[in-house]
Amino acid sequence: MRRKYSLPVLTAIMLVVTALAAAAIAVAQQDRGYYTPHNSGEIRQTAPAKPVNGATYSAESFPLYPPELDAGEGREAVASNCSTCHSTRYITMQPPLPAAAWEAEVNKMINAFGLDVPPETKPVIIHYLQTHYTPETRKH
Amino acid sequence: MMSDSPNTLSRRRAIQLLGLGGLAAAMPMTSWAQEVAGQHSLPAFTGPEANPYWNSVGPFVTYPQKDPLVLLTDRPVQLETPRHYFLDAFTPNSAFYVRWHLDEIPNDVDLGQWRLSIEGNVSNARKYSYSDLLARFKPVFVAAVNQCSGNSRSFFQPRVPGGQWGHGAMGNALWTGVRLKDLLNTAGLKGGSLAVQFQGLDQGKGPEGKGSHAFLKSLDFTNPVLDQAIVAYSMNGEPLPILNGFPVRLVVPGYFATYWMKGLSWIRVLDKPDDNFWMKTGYRIPDTPNGSTTPEAVKGGTVKTVPINVMPVRSFIISPDGSKKLPEKTPVTVRGIAFSGHGGITRVEFSADGAKTWKPAQLGEDHGPYSFRTWTFAWKPATPGTFELAVRATDASGATQSDVPVWNPGGYLWNVIERQKVVIGTIS
Repeated sequence: MRRKYSLPVLTAIMLVVTALAAAAIAVAQQDRGYYTPHNSGEIRQTAPAKPVNGATYSAESFPLYPPELDAGEGREAVASNCSTCHSTRYITMQPPLPAAAWEAEVNKMINAFGLDVPPETKPVIIHYLQTHYTPETRKH
Repeated sequence: MMSDSPNTLSRRRAIQLLGLGGLAAAMPMTSWAQEVAGQHSLPAFTGPEANPYWNSVGPFVTYPQKDPLVLLTDRPVQLETPRHYFLDAFTPNSAFYVRWHLDEIPNDVDLGQWRLSIEGNVSNARKYSYSDLLARFKPVFVAAVNQCSGNSRSFFQPRVPGGQWGHGAMGNALWTGVRLKDLLNTAGLKGGSLAVQFQGLDQGKGPEGKGSHAFLKSLDFTNPVLDQAIVAYSMNGEPLPILNGFPVRLVVPGYFATYWMKGLSWIRVLDKPDDNFWMKTGYRIPDTPNGSTTPEAVKGGTVKTVPINVMPVRSFIISPDGSKKLPEKTPVTVRGIAFSGHGGITRVEFSADGAKTWKPAQLGEDHGPYSFRTWTFAWKPATPGTFELAVRATDASGATQSDVPVWNPGGYLWNVIERQKVVIGTIS
């Protein structure tokens, strides 16, 4: 049984065939006109600063780029405690660190920087970091 | 229906040409096509090996008064300058790297209210307005490199925690302002003055007395760099971006940037040693000839430390950057920069054979001993293959760069000979 094609469909098929033939020839020599759909790198341009009265000079607000911490037990404890002074990008920025280094980092935040963390929460934070961000465990 | 074409790529292209690009996403891609698409983004992190790239791997982001820069952290803000900006001796303000320690960074400054205080062990404490600084003191200027102590930390092996900078936590600017000594002299130093401490407009949420509350740095009065230091209100002929320290920042030529206090608002004369966290615990280097030690010595607790200070000699290849294959027998101008805190650059040498043999590079204009010095080398790769380019600088003190990398737990003082692999292709 013959199927009937509408004119636009036939035109499209012919265009595809023609383009394929042209492309096959082109590829033999060079590649041209090849685009890849990709939008994750889009950056919006910064608008000019709004004028502020008097002698005040403003940079307006600083944007946040929250990272996605690995899901798992302790993630909320890490997010809430570590975010007191800094964003959790401080965690995801690090290279995979040995388990002992993560424990030392948490101790530094408590002893040197004065992080006030309940005694039962400290091991939860250390365990989370060691479970997701060591050379053996880091995935993302 | 088309069968599995040997040229899937062409089929996708043809469809895209017809404006049906959306369908393409559902179609199988050749491995070649996937590779091309994958070239668009770096991995989210590097390690435990050394960072294999020139910059750190964060995404490009925009911040007020800034071009897209490489994100390290968003609160406090830490942004790295992309490599190509170092083709020039001066780094544009809009591309100058950013590094804050505490998250309450000023969003705006009212110059009508703002004052620079000189206080502490002085007979005549002062508060200067912005217009005082402009009108009452002789302006001086210096071209000087501002480099983060932790610049290039991501190349340490083994890796160390901290800001995982590539090489872009540095910049060079023409700084104009007031001599620090001119300001101090108006306040009348009292006897027993040991050091001068600096504090900026940033504040932290940690408890008082901790490093998470206030960022404080100091320099001893015995340090001759105090005679060179200026309080700068101009950077490359413009007011400073807020993220680089508007309205004024301290400029300490030749010294690492940790002393270059941003938003400088308190100059405090101390009559006892500064024992705050950022002097006593942070930003310290092993007291060894090149600031290097080992993880074993650190673990053993035997490493004596001193505050970080003068920047050792460094040099970089900025272009070619290895991002593309270059054809043989075609001239390539290799371009880069060099600098040192020890009296400027006297010689830059270039190698195209992995630091085996060296030839002198051509030095660019001399903007003074604290500035970036550009260099070029006219290179003509004679044959195809992978070439390992290298650069080595020597400074006025006679110090040159080594092939042996430093290691210390803070990730400071990186100044090894830098290399750049370049692929050269055939032309026939």
